[in-house]
Amino acid sequence: MADTAMSGQGRRVFFRQGTVLKTVVLALLIAMIVLPLLRTVLFTLQPDTIRAWSDVLTGRLSTNLFYKPLGNTLLIGVVVSTGCVLLGGFLAWLVVMTNVPFRKTIGVMATLPFMIPSFAAALAWGSLFRNDRVGGQVGWLQGMGLDIPDWLAWGIVPTLIVLTLHYFSLAFTIIAAALATVNSDLVEAAQIAGARGRRILMGIVLPVTTPALVAAGSLCFAGAVSNFATPALLGLPVRMQTLSTRLFGMIEVGQVGRGYVIGIMLVLISGAFLWAGNRVVSGRRSYTTITGKGGRAKRFDLRRARWPLFGVAMIILLSSTVVPVIVLTASSLAPSSANLFSDWTLHYWMGRSDPSFAQGIPGIAHNEDIVRALTITLGLGLAVSFSGMFIGLLASYTTARFREGWMSAAITQISFLPLLVPGIAFGAAYIAYLGAPIGPFPALYGTFALLVIAATAYLLPFSVQTGRAVIQQVGGELEESARITGASFAHRLAAITVPLAIRGLAAGGILIFVKIIRDLSLVVLLFTPTMPVLSVVAYRYASEGFGQFANAITVVILFISIAATLIASRLQTKSQPWLQN
Amino acid sequence: MTFLTATRLGAISILLSSAALADGHLDGMGPEDLLPLAQKEGAVTVYSFTSRIGKVEKAFEEAYPGIDLQGFDISSTEQIARLQAEAQAGVTNADVIYISDTPVVLTELLEKGIIAPFVPPRVADRVPAEYQSPLLAQRLSTKVLMYNEEAHPDGAPVANLWQLTTDDWRGRVVMVDPLQRGDYLDLMTEIVLRSDEMAAAYETQFGEAIDLDGAANAGEKFIADLFANDVILVGSTDDVNVAVGAKGQENPPVGFTSYSDRRDNEEEGWALQVANAVEPAPGIIFPAVLALAADPNNPAAARLVIDFLMGDESETGGPGLAPFYVAGDYVTRTDIPPHPDAVPLSDFTAWRIAPAETATIRAEIGDLILTLQ
Repeated sequence: MADTAMSGQGRRVFFRQGTVLKTVVLALLIAMIVLPLLRTVLFTLQPDTIRAWSDVLTGRLSTNLFYKPLGNTLLIGVVVSTGCVLLGGFLAWLVVMTNVPFRKTIGVMATLPFMIPSFAAALAWGSLFRNDRVGGQVGWLQGMGLDIPDWLAWGIVPTLIVLTLHYFSLAFTIIAAALATVNSDLVEAAQIAGARGRRILMGIVLPVTTPALVAAGSLCFAGAVSNFATPALLGLPVRMQTLSTRLFGMIEVGQVGRGYVIGIMLVLISGAFLWAGNRVVSGRRSYTTITGKGGRAKRFDLRRARWPLFGVAMIILLSSTVVPVIVLTASSLAPSSANLFSDWTLHYWMGRSDPSFAQGIPGIAHNEDIVRALTITLGLGLAVSFSGMFIGLLASYTTARFREGWMSAAITQISFLPLLVPGIAFGAAYIAYLGAPIGPFPALYGTFALLVIAATAYLLPFSVQTGRAVIQQVGGELEESARITGASFAHRLAAITVPLAIRGLAAGGILIFVKIIRDLSLVVLLFTPTMPVLSVVAYRYASEGFGQFANAITVVILFISIAATLIASRLQTKSQPWLQN
Repeated sequence: MTFLTATRLGAISILLSSAALADGHLDGMGPEDLLPLAQKEGAVTVYSFTSRIGKVEKAFEEAYPGIDLQGFDISSTEQIARLQAEAQAGVTNADVIYISDTPVVLTELLEKGIIAPFVPPRVADRVPAEYQSPLLAQRLSTKVLMYNEEAHPDGAPVANLWQLTTDDWRGRVVMVDPLQRGDYLDLMTEIVLRSDEMAAAYETQFGEAIDLDGAANAGEKFIADLFANDVILVGSTDDVNVAVGAKGQENPPVGFTSYSDRRDNEEEGWALQVANAVEPAPGIIFPAVLALAADPNNPAAARLVIDFLMGDESETGGPGLAPFYVAGDYVTRTDIPPHPDAVPLSDFTAWRIAPAETATIRAEIGDLILTLQ
């Protein structure tokens, strides 16, 4: 470095605008994202672990270890992403383009299911639909005397339903944003020319929103294939495995090599699908939908279909938001899930330890472990939202102000890489990466720092995206003039960019906070008994048959998430233009 | 450079040996000598494979105020994975390890120096030698076939393990996924190791010699048939207990679980009972062992916990042993009388596992089960 700086050529490179900044950011991203993933691949190539590849891909075990779980995983990915695009698209169309009653309510409710942790939805499903296959406690419907068949209680069908109802709000947000930008000129022109609603939908709206549909589908696909909690909770009693549950199981029983190979395959598969999605979109270039003028189009009049369609939307929304919340709350109060609405007790919330009740486990308010986990979880949320927004801002600032050069391109690409990596595989990579000491740096296994670093890296796609939106709001001119008057980079950032962008940054930070406190897949492997987080504690209670405690914890997570989300959406009302008239 | 290194090495070795000396010194201490040192340490962390650690925690803190016992209920399988990861990271989280899964514990933890043995001198003369080495066994635990005695008041509905592979029990046998819990893998392994007995039991049941039909032996054939008969896998023993034991079921399943979980029958509303007469054996008996971390953060408190867990001088071992002095757990201390409500150990027909032998084919059986799922 010193030598390069000395030479004339090097000096120019060294001092070229932004080079230092770019180098720093790039190095940071490589250390946080590229190296852990690389480390995992290298681990599986060691002489005593390389056999894991043939075990997983070709050996006699491969059918059960890889191909069957792969089949389930792909089925989940395809069905859930299709379902999400249909549901999310339908609701977005209703809210943005029609005169359906209570548009705003539908719009707000449609963003909520994503706030409910997917494992909570799976727990709620169990409280309602659990049948007597496993014996012991049954769910509410079975308790009411209905005979719930296995296929509805366990396995692929409930997994598909729960995941679709979880991820469709992601699709809704993306598609609604795209629909809101559809040029009204196009629609009006068609209306004047006498085209009917269906024609306008198929001929104009659908084609111009294709990129959003594909983007929504790909994100839902990536989320669904890497989801761990839902298939884990609903699949085991019928021996349904997906790649993510297999990965977890292999690492849990110490077959780390096999686990990593499955993780790498999972990354490659979701990467391939996202790439294919991008290809489809980039094949056509005429997607410009926002032009200089053109106001909002006249809303499509649903006429007699107004109320029926409203009813359909409400059924979807109630079953994905209100029902799980009610079920979870009720089942955190009811000793038996077969009688959800009777014998309520607050023991699971605030009872003291009683040896004759739930094996002496005290209610969550008096349970030291849970209180500790809550503190750690909130601390983690705060730490990650700060570090995430800091790095996100730095990275997006760098790429926005210094667009030229391969380094900026590399920064953009790498910062989106974690989107392709399932949380559970990312957690596994971080154990391999920072689990053991590196040179002078101590091992971070079981420390708070490890959770923060891994979570920050994992959520970088979101923080960079938020950072970019914020930077674009702050015009470059102000900053430019400060630079001419000699203000340093840090000074400019602190005096101009951050103050102007603080609302956007705070909103972005809160969203990251929400994402991390309800995340299970990333932390389920990084968790150690001495560093517990709420979602894992809830998952453990659920898998040990103490569903009430799990549900009580989940209700806590849920309310923190919803409160934080509402604060965030107040801060950035502008980001939901489809709600304005 | 060399000089520095040499000095440093010297200093390190002095430090190490004095630490070792100090620890060796601790090994000979009784609880009254350990207590002041342990109180100075102030805390101790225990990884335990049983949820009963919660009760131990309370009893220990009452007996020895000023020492905060942090007990974590972690399955043996997960403890092994965690302890290995922690050793690799050079981190010591746990002081005391209370674990089953001895086939893996001996090879992967003890031989690799991750954990160390400790026998409290106070009870050393009252524990048979076979249970003191290589690690101290506190008690013998079980994974055996249990049934619902409310639904079957006249005794076990199963007389022979092979019945579980027949249509009568299709989808009605529950156990924990052997790929998630090591003691269930040990059970499966033992069934294979006892293939001769399994073959004889087959003849008793069906009146003809077993046709292996491609399986390597009678044990593997049994496992394959059991899985083909839709055995239900769950995530934890408590799930098995609820499934098998919950009262008010018309046609409850049977399942492999811990005999000692019968202790919770009254509290949880279960009717669990062991099928002791089942041919050739209802399951396995295996040791639950206590060990120190190789380099515990709280060496005195750690030893005090192990001493406490071995029971005091009262007749049934006092509060430290109380959670384990239950029907179905067999305490290794010879001066503690057997629990009156349990089948005496000498009449209990479950197989005793030989950890070293189990270790030889355990991974293979794991792979076999993987192909059956």
